[in-house]
Amino acid sequence: MGKKVIKYIIVAFVVLLVGYNSVYFKKLDEVKAEQTAKTFNAAAYAQNFWDKKLTPGLSNAIAIDKLIPMLNTNPAQAFDSYSHALGIGNLRYFLIQGKGTVAAIDGDDVTVSIAGLPEQKVKIATEYIFGNAARDATGLININDFNNTMDFNNVSAEINAIIRSKVLPQLKHAKVGNSISFTGAIELNKEHVNLSQIEAVPVAVNIQP
Amino acid sequence: MDAAINTQNYRQYLARFQSLIALFVLCVLISFLSDKFLTVTNAWNVMRQISVNICISVGMTLVVLTAGIDLSVGSILALCGAVTAGLLRNGIELQSSNLYIGFTVLGACVAGIIVGSALGWFNGWAITRFKVPPFVATLAMLTIARGLTMLWTKGFPITGLDHKFAFLGTGWFLGIPLPVWISGIVVISAIIITKKTRLGRYIYAIGGNENAARLSGININYIKIAVYTIAGALAAVGGLIITSRLDAAQPNAGTGYELDSIAAVVIGGTSLSGGRGSILGTVLGAVIIGVLNNGLVLLNVSPFWQQVVKGLVILAAVIIDKANSKNE
Repeated sequence: MGKKVIKYIIVAFVVLLVGYNSVYFKKLDEVKAEQTAKTFNAAAYAQNFWDKKLTPGLSNAIAIDKLIPMLNTNPAQAFDSYSHALGIGNLRYFLIQGKGTVAAIDGDDVTVSIAGLPEQKVKIATEYIFGNAARDATGLININDFNNTMDFNNVSAEINAIIRSKVLPQLKHAKVGNSISFTGAIELNKEHVNLSQIEAVPVAVNIQP
Repeated sequence: MDAAINTQNYRQYLARFQSLIALFVLCVLISFLSDKFLTVTNAWNVMRQISVNICISVGMTLVVLTAGIDLSVGSILALCGAVTAGLLRNGIELQSSNLYIGFTVLGACVAGIIVGSALGWFNGWAITRFKVPPFVATLAMLTIARGLTMLWTKGFPITGLDHKFAFLGTGWFLGIPLPVWISGIVVISAIIITKKTRLGRYIYAIGGNENAARLSGININYIKIAVYTIAGALAAVGGLIITSRLDAAQPNAGTGYELDSIAAVVIGGTSLSGGRGSILGTVLGAVIIGVLNNGLVLLNVSPFWQQVVKGLVILAAVIIDKANSKNE
């Protein structure tokens, strides 16, 4: 009988000890207030990045008439010097700037013939903006600054939303033959560089009739 | 006459060490085909991967030893991982009393294991109380637990968990990954239970001959419920490890894990008709499955072919098991 009581006392003690170290209590409204303060605001982060990092840094984008010849002659140096990427894969992003003439207008993009490189065409997206090119091309956003990948991906989605609302409307007025200067993000495969189909996500455009 | 006895002994010897021989042959074969296989990094990688399957398979072994089967372990794993992650991240909100109940890592883990045990208990209760065949009862639980996981997670992964919780699946202790420690403790506990306790002897007795066990005074229902409860709890432990490793509770986690654990049990020499088998055999079975998976990936074999190969290995194991039973 005595042994049984001791056994029960030990079990009760362990249960209480585990229980005490398992849960804690707080007022719900205090927790809610803390959570609201802590919640990551991807839209605000993206807007801040756009205003304070991306836009002021557009002049640092590599000129496409300089990049293309380098990619043809010394691709390794071009990728090392001007591309950014998160992982160790072959897909790399460049922030490019260029001038040219609108050569064609399709439903989803505007084809630009690059000044100084008449054979080189760049398609600038005018309809579908997705992916992480705009976020990653500058190399200014570090994944380690985020608590989880969902927040990081949401930043990309918000940057793309800004592009849709601020940049794409300007491209809707483009006409064949217009002069255009642009800055945009492009994605290239390091192992299979294909310069015949460069597609840019526009970050800034200026169209002159 | 002597020659016949020698052949018989040789066969028994071979049957006893068949899993070990199979593992050795597999390792030699893969190490010849891939230079990345026999590396320390890969060995720890394999051990970490199989630790989840070992936890589940140990529970499955106890169930199979009683001539039962538990198809719900994968779903229980997912639910327990989700419950743990959900409690850790969101706690419980009691709007009416303006109260928030937060959970520490310990509390969330304990809650996950309690949920797993409860679902396992329910399996055992349904099987013993209503005489539902284990296959059907646990198949029902497979669906119930998966549905509950979807309801709990609303179909989305639960992410952003406590970094202390991540240590459970990714941490190291004395140079060995923590999941390996956990599975090691589970294995040793199960060996002690099966070899040194009354519960272990009763489990073998029920699997060997249920009627004889009943007539000898063993409370069959109690033992069966206990076994399914343990299997549920160990599936929950597997759920904690996998959730911690991924730092997220995926609603579709553990899909197909029941088959991997049954495969480990069968390859390890436990008879599906109960009463014969061992925990160490199951561990060997899990290692074989893990090495096979790892080897096929290293050899760049298509995932579709991997499934075919795994299925053939299980089939071969059952055929060998049948042949051994016949010889005995």
